[in-house]
Order: sequence, then C-alpha cells, then structure tokens
Amino acid sequence: MRAAAEPQADDLILSIREVKKHYPIREGALQRVVGHVRAVDGVSFDIRRGQTVGLVGESGCGKTTLGRVIAALADPTDGGVHYSMDGAMCRIDRLEGKAARTFRRNCQMVFQDSYASLNPRHLVIDLVGRPLKVYNEAASSDLVERVVELLDQVGLGRQHLYRYPHQFSGGQRQRISIARALALNPEVIVLDEPTSALDVSVQAQILNLLNDLQKERNLAYLFVTHDLSVVRHMADRLVVMYLGKVAEAGETQAIFDSPHHPYTRELMAAKPDMEAEANVEIRGLEGTVPDPARPPQGCRFHTRCELATSACGWEVDDVVRWLEDAPGMFEHLVGVERTTEFAAELAFDTEEAAGLLSMAVRSEQVPEAMRAAMRRLNLDGTKVEIEFEDVGEVELTARDDGRMAACVLAPQEVASWKSP
Amino acid sequence: MTDVQQTRIAAGAMTADTAFRVRMRRLFGVLQGMASNPATVIGLVVIALMLVMAIFAPWILEPNSPDPYQMPRDWGAVRKPPGTPGHPLGTTNEGGDVLYGVIWGSRTSLQLSLMVVGSTMIVGTIVGSIAGLVGGWVDEVLMRLVDVFLSIPELIFALAIAAVLGPSFGNIILALAVVLWVKYARIMRAQVLQIKQHDFVDAARVIGDTKLNIYLRDILPNAVTPVTVQATLDMGNVVLIGATLSFIGLSEAGIAEWGVLVSEGQAGIASGRWWASTFPGLMIFLWALAFNLVGDGLRDALDPRTEGR
Amino acid sequence: MLDAQHGAAPVASVRDLKVYFQTKRGIVHAVDGVSFDIRDGETLGLVGETGCGKSVTGRSFLRLLPVPPGIQAGGSVMFNGHAVCAACAGVGCGACGSTGRQAGRDSSVDLLGISSEDMRRIRGDRIAMIFQDPGKALNPTLPIGAQIAEVFFQHRTEELIALAGLPADTAGAIRRFASQSPRFGDGWLLALPGARAQRRQVEAALAKMVASALAETQVPNPVKLMARYPHELSGGMRQRVMIAQALACNPDLLIADEPTTALDVTVEARILELIRDLQQRRKTSVLYISHDLSLVRRISDRVAVMYAGRIVEIGATAEIFANPRHPYTRGLMAAAPSADTPRGKLAAIRGTVPELVDPPSACRFLGRCPHEAGACRSNDPALQVVAPGHSVACFIDHPAPSGERPTYDRVTA
Repeated sequence: MRAAAEPQADDLILSIREVKKHYPIREGALQRVVGHVRAVDGVSFDIRRGQTVGLVGESGCGKTTLGRVIAALADPTDGGVHYSMDGAMCRIDRLEGKAARTFRRNCQMVFQDSYASLNPRHLVIDLVGRPLKVYNEAASSDLVERVVELLDQVGLGRQHLYRYPHQFSGGQRQRISIARALALNPEVIVLDEPTSALDVSVQAQILNLLNDLQKERNLAYLFVTHDLSVVRHMADRLVVMYLGKVAEAGETQAIFDSPHHPYTRELMAAKPDMEAEANVEIRGLEGTVPDPARPPQGCRFHTRCELATSACGWEVDDVVRWLEDAPGMFEHLVGVERTTEFAAELAFDTEEAAGLLSMAVRSEQVPEAMRAAMRRLNLDGTKVEIEFEDVGEVELTARDDGRMAACVLAPQEVASWKSP
Repeated sequence: MTDVQQTRIAAGAMTADTAFRVRMRRLFGVLQGMASNPATVIGLVVIALMLVMAIFAPWILEPNSPDPYQMPRDWGAVRKPPGTPGHPLGTTNEGGDVLYGVIWGSRTSLQLSLMVVGSTMIVGTIVGSIAGLVGGWVDEVLMRLVDVFLSIPELIFALAIAAVLGPSFGNIILALAVVLWVKYARIMRAQVLQIKQHDFVDAARVIGDTKLNIYLRDILPNAVTPVTVQATLDMGNVVLIGATLSFIGLSEAGIAEWGVLVSEGQAGIASGRWWASTFPGLMIFLWALAFNLVGDGLRDALDPRTEGR
Repeated sequence: MLDAQHGAAPVASVRDLKVYFQTKRGIVHAVDGVSFDIRDGETLGLVGETGCGKSVTGRSFLRLLPVPPGIQAGGSVMFNGHAVCAACAGVGCGACGSTGRQAGRDSSVDLLGISSEDMRRIRGDRIAMIFQDPGKALNPTLPIGAQIAEVFFQHRTEELIALAGLPADTAGAIRRFASQSPRFGDGWLLALPGARAQRRQVEAALAKMVASALAETQVPNPVKLMARYPHELSGGMRQRVMIAQALACNPDLLIADEPTTALDVTVEARILELIRDLQQRRKTSVLYISHDLSLVRRISDRVAVMYAGRIVEIGATAEIFANPRHPYTRGLMAAAPSADTPRGKLAAIRGTVPELVDPPSACRFLGRCPHEAGACRSNDPALQVVAPGHSVACFIDHPAPSGERPTYDRVTA
C-alpha cells in the first residue's frame, strides 16, 4: 500500500555494504587491547531517493553507531558506506577534496537531543546560517533572507532569528535542527531518534513536518529509532537490528503483516498499538541483551528466543550464563577449558556441584532446544565435559518480495507460534 | 507583540545590529547576576578604586625622576610617623614616602598581575586545547609535564626560578608565569575533552565545517568560563605570591612595590614603626580579596545551572 | 475497574493541591488545584505531557520537592494507612478477608502537615516510590543488598529481631544495630563474643529478608545479586531492584514515576507485568505516572489526564478510552501514530504547553484546542461529572456561566 514506484538503479543514494564498527576494550596500565565491542558487525542495506528507511532495535543494538558511520561521523572498522556520485558508487571514507564536500553537503543529520546539538552560545541565525556560510552559499546581505526562508519551511519565523536555543521549547528546537539540516539542500538526512525526547502531540507535529519536507524535496531519510509505531508510520523499508546484526529487513508493511524473525515479533508484541484491544497480552523478553564483546554463536538472538531450535547455535557460554543465574552454583565453578566455542570441560570444586550441573542440563531447567543441541555430556568426578553441535553463523537470507531475515525457521513457523 | 515589532526591526542593514544587541543583552544579564551579590559589588568597587589609583598615579603624586617606579628618598625625613607634613603615611628607614609606595605600587601590581595572568592564560589555554583536541601521546606528554609542574609547590618553584635568575622585578614576573600556566592547561584540557563530546560539535562536523572553525566557534567559547574565573582569582593571587617573593628580597631594593615595602618596614615593627609595613600590607590584602570576591561572583553568574533561567 | 460503590475509604485523597515554583520569570503554578482519590487496591494512571505537573503531584505525596524554589501553596494530601491484620500479620486469612489488613483501625493523616520525622516513618514503609532513572536513584557505592537492607533497618527492626531468634525485648547495641542507629562505642560492644553471635544472627535474618524481597521481582539468583553494584546491572535489572526496595515493606501506596521510560520496550513489558502482578497479589494501590497513554491504558483501573497543572479528565480506563470527552484527551489519543494513519496526517496538537506564570482565568487548553469558543476565553472550567465515575473539565459537556459554548462539531482552529 505504501510501496513506492519501482526503484531504478539511479535512485540509489547510499549503499551500506558489510559495515562493521568495533571498539577496542582496553585494560590495565598499558592500555592493552583485550577484546572488541562489536557495535556494528556486518550490516548491508540501500537507501534510495525519496525513501525512508527505518532502523530499529533496542538500546545497544548498534543502530546509533551505524547512523554515525553513515553520516561519516565515525569511520567503519571494515566494509564501507558507498555514495552515488555521477553515476558511480564511491566509498565515503575515501573521498577527498571536492568530492568529500559534495558528500558532506548531501548527507545531513538531526540528533535526538535538540538541546545538546545546538550550540548554546549561538543565535538561531548563526545556527541555521552556518552551513550556508561554510559553503559560501550566501553573502551576509542575503543570509538573513535565506535563513528566514528555511525557518519558514519548518514552521518558524523571522521573529525567531535572534534568539538562543534555550528560549525555545523542545519541539521548536528540533525544528531549528531540521532547518539547519535542510540548509544545504541535501539528498539524505540521518534522523537519530528525532522525536523520542518529545511529547506525543509535538512528535506528531515534527513527523508531519518531516513528511511534508520529504515530499517537497524528494529527500531520503534514515530514521533511527526504537519506537516501532513511529517507524511504521514513517518508513517505507525497515531494518531491524539485534546486537550489531540485521535480524530482518524489508518493506515496512510486509514486516508488520508477518514478521519473519522472532525478534521482530517480540518487538511488536511488547508495545501494541493504541488501536489494539485493551486486553491484548503484552509480552516482554526474558533476560538481557548479551555482551556485544562476546556475541552468541549461531543466531545472536537464541539466548532470548522462545522459538529457538537446536540449530540456533547453543554453546558453552549458554551453560555458563545458566550457571550464573542458578542459585549457589556459579561459586563452585573453578574453571572452563574450551576446545571450541561449542565444546569445553567445566571444572567444579565439588563432585556434588558437577553432578548437579550434569543433571540440570538434562532436565527441564534448561530450554529443550539446548538439550537437543547437546552432542555429548560426560560427568567425570568434579569435571563436566560438554559438547554442542557446531553451528555456523545464521546468515541473512533473501525471502520472497525482497525480504531478508536471519532465522533458521520458516516464516510460517514464526507466524504461527503462540506463546504458551 | 514584541515578535511583531522585532519582525519590523529585523530587516536588511539592521540585522547585524540586532544580533549585537541580543548578545549584549546576554552579557548584561551576566553582569546583572553579579550585581545582585553584594560581596561581588564590594569587590568590583575596590578594584575600580585601585584601577583609578593606578591610572591617575602621575596626577596624584608627582613621579620620581628619572625612574618613577623607584621610591623617592627624603634623607631629611627618615622614620617619620604618619601625619608628618609632606608624608601623610609616614616614611621608611631610608626616607621613602609610604604614600608614594602605596599609590605607585598599585601600578606595579597591576603590571605584574596583567602580565603574569595574561601570558599564563594564553599559554595554558593553547597547551590545554592541544592536549584535549589531539589526544594520544601528545596529550600524555603534555599532561605528564603538567603533573611535574603541579607536584612542586608553586611558591617554592617560583622562588627557585627567581633565585636562579637573580633578584629583579622582571624575573619575578617570569618565574610566576613559568609556574602558573599549568593550572590553565589542566582546566582547559578537561573542558575541551568534555565539550568535544557534545552533539553540537558533531553537528558542526556534519555540516562540514573546518576543524579550526569548530574549535574557535564551538569548543573555545564554551570552554573559557572556568578559565576566566580562574584568571580573575589569579589576578589577586599573583600579587600575593609576587609580594612574598619581593618580601624575601628577590626583587630590586628601593622599587615602589607593596611586597618590597612590607619587607623593608618589617624590621621596624618591633620598635613601634608599624606604618611602613601596614599600609602596603593592607593594599595587598584588599587587592587579593577584591579579585577573589569578583572571581567567586563571576563563577556564580556564569554557572550553567543558573544561566538562561 | 472498581467504581464509586467500592466501600472502603480511599487510600489517599488529594484535595485542591497547589504547588508553585519561584523562578526568575515569576511564580509558576506547576500544580494548580488538583483533586483526586486513589482508591484502595486500584491503579490510578496519571497521564500528561512534559510540564503538566504530574511528577510534581506524585512527589508531593512524599514531600520530595525542594522548598524553595517550590512553594506548598495549599491543599491537602490525606493518606489512610492500613493497620496490619493482627491474626495473620498481613499474610491474609479468614479474619481479614485475605486482605491482610485489620478493618476499622485505619489512621488518616495529612501528608503535607505532618512532621519530618513522621514523614520519614511513612516513606519507604507505607508509601514507596520508584523513579524513571534507576541508575540515579540507586547509590553507586553500595551493593544492591545493602541498599535494600536499609529499608528493613529503618522500618522493620522488630521483625528483624524476631526473625533472628532474639527476644523481643532485646535492647542496647544489638537493637541499635538492627535499626541502623549506632552510638559511639557500639563497634566494640558488637565485637564482644556474645554480641557478635547475636549480630551474626541479625545479619543472617537480614540477608534472608533482602533475598526474599528480591525474589519477589523474579530476578534470577537473588543471593548473588545482593553482592553486586548498580553499575554492573542492566537498566531493567536495576528497575527490578528499585521495585524490590520499594515493595520490601509491603506499602499501602506505590508511586511509580515513569518507571519504564528509560527502558527498552521488551524490558518495559516485563516490568509492567511485574508491577501489575505484585500489585494484584499484595493489593497495593498504585499511582502510575506516565506520558504514554497506551501504557497507562494497559496498567490502570482509572486514568486521570493532567494538563497545565490541572486534571482535565478522570474516569475508569475503559470509559476514558472508549469515550474521551476532553479535547486534550482526544488530541493525545489521536496524535499517537497508529497502523492506519496516512503518512503526514497525524493529528498534532498545535502549539505548546503554556507557561504557567499567572495563568489567566480561562481554559488552560485555550490556543491549542480545536473547538474553543467564547465561553472558554472568559471562564475557567472545573471538573464536573458527566457520567458515573467520569468527570471532565470542559464546557463542551457542562454549562458555562457566560459566553458561547464549544461543541465538537465546530472546529475553530
């Protein structure tokens, strides 16, 4: 229903290819690198002219980091963002001189916190007029007129020119940010949670404004947010991220009609619409997001997924995590000797504890899928040898109608599953 | 209503003027904030009087020739108490007029504090900015250097430098400048590191502004507040330390400087000749106190928590 | 969804509450004449946008507002604490109708009028509060267990002594230890062999109480959690700890100030479930403050909509959502994007919340209301009943003293 006209190749503005952003974790006096937080771990999608791509996920899923990489505020560790210029795709971190300036002008950003993103010591005319000054777009004589024009487009006026950011309400400040982003007439704007600090009545104003501007100027948006109802309203395409990876991507309406990834389903179930029946069961997720420095094997969502199967990448870490949450067990664990991520020998200080573990992992206390994935379990005195099936990473695979999902289950299985 | 009025005003050539007026109003707001604190007002009044005294010194008392910063000697009237005709505040052991020392000493002190604070503030701001902006090993090296400086008590450090360079008033200025810049470097670095994180710096990068511009327009203006406050406090402190160094004889003898006068007069206190030390001592006290009061007031007035309310 | 027929007295009644703030621009009327009841065992949702006074109202219950700049300009907050059933000590038995409460022995106090010491006794014991940011509300230097233990030290000394197996008339250093009010020299006294054993008993009893309080919030491995520090926990886990702390003493009233706003939706759903579950099991009354209508709809029995320091509409949740009367309530509901709003056609409410310095004697929604008429400009509408248990402050539903009345049919925006 919201499907735009068939996209043409020359519609492409940005192409994000296998982007990774890893942050080193340093420890000790010598600041030795002991590991990496994999904030973004191989993400690909395209942004086309006049289109809104929604990037959703929980906090810590890497969506903001990815937004910053796309706006060239951070360099990717690997992979790249390609920008369409004169018919060719150029990697933005390799652009220089004039080409770099062309990209810079055409990719703007609006931040979540409108107060923090406006220099408190600058007047509105300085803030909105600044891009024009940087690119010598306007001499001082017509700068005022240009700025007034921009303010007018975002619903502010001449009377606001000589005021400081703190003299405005949150919604008005976000309008100023949008006016600044529009000043250079960009092709694409990265919107990083532009309305999540605003009240719902003001959010509606801003979303309407963004939509009007998009129509007028054929803008492309990358809409980064955690709010599903907002992206559903705004986005043509959706990219759902979980722990640095894409869980699912495709047409917004299609995803909302039938999510192909259990994570997308859970996100939707956690926050039903105002229109939905009042007694619709709200559902949350068990557990917490795992440490992005040690993402789970297989499918990264398997630790919290209620539909997980034995093929989802059960591993030694899952046993350790279980031990951490089991009362009075973790204290007895004295060592974990891994041969691979999937096989290890767990040493306990008492035979009793070792016995308890080997009993537990065979019982209802752990998910059935985890038991099914267990290839070997040996109790030898105070040691428990455990081995799971060796599973590769669950890849993002193409489904019908341009959908992509990273789940071992068939779409029907995800759709038909009912919470017990 | 005001909106409509402003709309009429804000056209064409008037615009630069409007922006200027708005900025002035903000500055005025800060001054108003300071004026609402009586202690700050007292400090400002004292500083104003001192400045008047320093500026108009040649008209108040005829300058000594050839060097007006040397105490005039009246060998006919040594150790005279206050109230002596021609010497309202008395004279020193060598017949120096205490009033002349007090008045021309304010010029010396102003010179001292302006030169020391001015140079240290500039050097410290530059070093701190470089450390904060560049980071990495540059930051490490600069900050370890600062740590070394800070690990030695400033008075002892300044004393050592001044002693090596030889006793002269110029060397006291140099010694203090060498010692005091580190404070500014440290404050500035912390500020730059913090402000660098702000979204408005990222916003300027997204626009494509140059690094220098981002520093000059976004980082520096938002970072200078604590540096300014520190500088105001130091205007007073510098005179205190300078006086201490002069007092222990690291300045030329006979110079019209409060610390030197206190030093010269202290021998006579036991014999009841209190005046030669007391009047310049009082000036040092008032000077330091006034700048501290204003510094505190400035800090409160510029506090971001109260700004813009 | 209990209604006015509910026999018991409300657990709290706010009457004409006024809280002002002194600012440079003048006196801001943050809360300007708010009256409502929180019925026994119900969840009342208090919704509104930023700056409408909902948090200030919530904080007034525990007098957690800084004075100055806050000014307690009038009104009262009557709180009717319950007496614990003597037969079952609050567990629930036949004698008290499994409410755990002794009928007829309730005491009523004005929370705005009592002494600070009395207030301290009520805080955390009879009325507890959870906040939006559990990261800030927890002390970063203390382990979780110690923070929850404080509540027991403050309010449950007797129980602690009983649970430790010590006689009820235990006095001296041990009692002081169990109420966290050490005196000089207690350190030595407690180090004496006899006292040391008793102290261990108290500590063990305390650990048991803390662990069971944490277990209530369905955290895995509560004993291990007790030794951890707030920064080691995720946001959802910290919020669970806060809830455990708040409900540790089985309060009569829980004030939840946007407890899930800082959390992810998936975690939010769990926390909501937890609060609802605990509320139903313990029959605690809850004042749930939020800006999120869809969330309040899910958790509350009744809803009060606040705008600009006033309650503009109050009633049973189902009634309010099925039949919203105030234009502001309607505006809020329409502004949230839903599945079939055409893009760019969200029903925004124009303008922003007015500054509440010297509010004029007119409807506060004036200037933003799509239906405003003459009556709204010259009169200030008060809450009036439009249906059983449903009150609205708008001239659309009740007669105005003068001027033309607004109607839904006429859009004047």
